[in-house]
Amino acid sequence: MEQSGTSTRLQAAVQGLASGVVSALRGGDHPHVVPAGDGAEAGDLALAAVRVLGADALLPGLVRPTPPDPAEVAVFRKAVEAYPPRPDAAPTVRWSHWGMTRALRRLDPSFLPGPSAEPDTGWLEGAGWQYLTHQLAVLAPLAVPGEECAVSALAARRPVDVARGFVRAVRRRDWRQAAGAGRWLTLLPGVPDTVGLEAGLDFVELMGGQDPLVVLQVQAARAARTGAPV
Amino acid sequence: MRSEQITEELTGVKSADIEAALDPVEADGVYRDSRQCAAAALLSGAAKLLLSPPTPRPKKG
Repeated sequence: MEQSGTSTRLQAAVQGLASGVVSALRGGDHPHVVPAGDGAEAGDLALAAVRVLGADALLPGLVRPTPPDPAEVAVFRKAVEAYPPRPDAAPTVRWSHWGMTRALRRLDPSFLPGPSAEPDTGWLEGAGWQYLTHQLAVLAPLAVPGEECAVSALAARRPVDVARGFVRAVRRRDWRQAAGAGRWLTLLPGVPDTVGLEAGLDFVELMGGQDPLVVLQVQAARAARTGAPV
Repeated sequence: MRSEQITEELTGVKSADIEAALDPVEADGVYRDSRQCAAAALLSGAAKLLLSPPTPRPKKG
């Protein structure tokens, strides 16, 4: 399907932002993840990219021992406030926004607007393992050690289904979905050893490593496996 | 005018674009034949996940 120019520019901005997050997670010289824009348009495009990347835009600030740059947190907050989910938004849009507000509350105690209730998980109750894995991969920024929510609780009840979905994504060469599912699997109890998760994540990075969104998920999964305080 | 509308006018990025990016349809699968999968797995060293499934063998009896 042909993408609009706006959509293409947004995707490019998301990729650029994800590259910055990956660089920061690797400890590279990339102190500011959120790019400075050349003028209002570029800056606001970056803001939209932050909204799409979701809570992962602040992941380096949560991993590093030093607190995130307040200017980055301010941009993140601006994205949260500028792009709330519409009333008819899809569940993944609602959950993504909720995940951002959760991250923001953790890093910016002054942020307390609106209801903090979690969206519902009804759309995933009883979902087939293929659809479940796809949706969880889209919501991979919620896969954060020590941060429970209704989605993570639902995923924890279906580790074998997510493992099956991970293998399916790899075999379909859907590296983004595989990386997101792999990130969830690092946190779930009861994942079969036979899935070969560690080797699988290496393979996903090898094959999909040209996509910063894939590498970001693999890096986040590794941070979770090594017990980094994500 | 809501802040969301102002942002859309400035950037051309509509909430619909953002929500589409946050609710993607599943990508079409891309498959290789078993020999290509095995070669890719061998190239990856320790990664054995994509080794093709075992060759079907005739059932006993």
